[in-house]
Amino acid sequence: MSGQDFISLLPLTVLAATVVLIMLAVSVYRSHILVLLITLAGLTAAAAMLPLAAGSGPRRVTSLLVVDGYALFYTGVILAATFVVAVFSFVYLRKQQGQQEELYLLLLLAALGAAVMAASSHFASLFLGLELLSSSLFILIAYPRGRLNIEAGVKYLILASVSTSVLLFGMAFIYDQTGTMQFSRMAALADANAGVLFTTGLGLLAVGLGFKLALVPFHMWTADVYQGAPAPVTAFVATVSKVGVFALALRFFSQVGIRPQAHLFLMFALIAIASMLAGNLLALTQDNVKRILAYSSIAHLGYLLVAFLASGPLAITAVTFYLSAYTATTLGAFGVVGMTPCRGREADAVEDYRGLFWRRPWLAAIFAAMLFSLAGIPLTAGFIGKFYLLDAGVGSSLWLLVFSLVAGSGISLYYYLRLVVVMYMRPRGASSGEATASCPWAGSLMLTALLAVIFWLGVYPAPLIDMIQKTAALK
Amino acid sequence: MASIPANYGLLLAAALFVLGFAGVLARRNIIFMLLSIEIMVNASGLAFVVGGSRWRQPDGQLMFIFILAMAAVEVSLGLALVLQLYHHLKSLDIDKASRMKG
Repeated sequence: MSGQDFISLLPLTVLAATVVLIMLAVSVYRSHILVLLITLAGLTAAAAMLPLAAGSGPRRVTSLLVVDGYALFYTGVILAATFVVAVFSFVYLRKQQGQQEELYLLLLLAALGAAVMAASSHFASLFLGLELLSSSLFILIAYPRGRLNIEAGVKYLILASVSTSVLLFGMAFIYDQTGTMQFSRMAALADANAGVLFTTGLGLLAVGLGFKLALVPFHMWTADVYQGAPAPVTAFVATVSKVGVFALALRFFSQVGIRPQAHLFLMFALIAIASMLAGNLLALTQDNVKRILAYSSIAHLGYLLVAFLASGPLAITAVTFYLSAYTATTLGAFGVVGMTPCRGREADAVEDYRGLFWRRPWLAAIFAAMLFSLAGIPLTAGFIGKFYLLDAGVGSSLWLLVFSLVAGSGISLYYYLRLVVVMYMRPRGASSGEATASCPWAGSLMLTALLAVIFWLGVYPAPLIDMIQKTAALK
Repeated sequence: MASIPANYGLLLAAALFVLGFAGVLARRNIIFMLLSIEIMVNASGLAFVVGGSRWRQPDGQLMFIFILAMAAVEVSLGLALVLQLYHHLKSLDIDKASRMKG
């Protein structure tokens, strides 16, 4: 490795160093606020290294990692999302008993895993990044150690381990057929001997990734984990882990190519349609806000698959923009859920939100804006994102997928608007101690910033799209 | 020395994998589910070793070392969570851990 390689890896190194620093700091002196500040400083420093790493151009660092604009852009999204989640966690945990400092350590480790995945170009780094991400998540989900948290943690552990072994088995098949674990060399070898085993391997790999992305029919864990995990961690699972896995899936399949593999293409198309329709239909029946958002995230990943299948440069722009918009929106939505405590628990029943607008107008307005953005209403980031997805889908004449996207969005309006309507209803007397939000300034500031991002992307998306087209193009 | 055909190795790995998967589906005791997952993970490891020996590369065995480390991590985290769950449920039956439905 040359000096230039070390510069390319600086964002990852800084992140890892922050983890070590926090571990040492916690062993010397426990202070919640100090650990938060170190975390935020570490994330900012890592983000500051991104331009430096970009300066040395796209580089292959050993055979494991590729540090190109694509990887760095996704790393930026991951770092920003982790920053927001860290602040939310502080607001969420500050009143609780027990030791909170290790949560930040695990958050940073998980973010490191996601960033490694975004940059990986080899099965070994894929596997290491994925494991770093998911092992941290097992503990993060169960962190407050309540009964529901533990239940969700165990469920996630079992299903994630199963999906990891499916993924590994797929990788082993591909390796056995091609004799290489590097994505870029696989494509050339695949054309020569795309036998049954190779296709099976790709299929298993897709199933494993489908589990991680919570696509139908591999979505069983999603709602339970989203409900059982503390709200900031749910936000993390819904955004950072999906961004990391999707970035990897996009890189892998655009290098190996799905189009020539007719069976695989069909499988992905069916998964996309099932995710869009089932995710939205199941969300209709829920009366827990976190579960509604869980099923809606399944649907959103289905929408993303439309552009993923369209492939081509426009598709990569569409996917990247949509993922950024989705990340900001989902963080905002779960941020509101985490900051609306209700008699010592999280306010996650729809009924807890009745009349929120009359008690906390600003919080309710932010939540409404996030829900509009998830629904894809104009002026919000979600609308522009969906527009690009449709554009990519239509450009490749994937009519059935485009139709499902439109139908799914139509269904989704019902449950998003239902939540909005509930918030603006008059509260039923002073009967219950419904959600009386405590929202300290740090949390409010973050939510307001997310709101600004949503509207900025919805009204004037050109700068971000320019940036994506300049940096994130995959060759 | 006659070598074993590579496909036999893959067949063995696939059989182990299916056994492990069936175990995860059929067992309701969390410890046994973790054991079944170990079998699945190690089946994948075996497939990597088979691949490595077919191409005469160290990569397959390298992946196996990574997989071993990962399996150790998963088991230690898994057992820690199982202890906590037992603390709440007084049982190791995964079906009892079903407060969340929908």
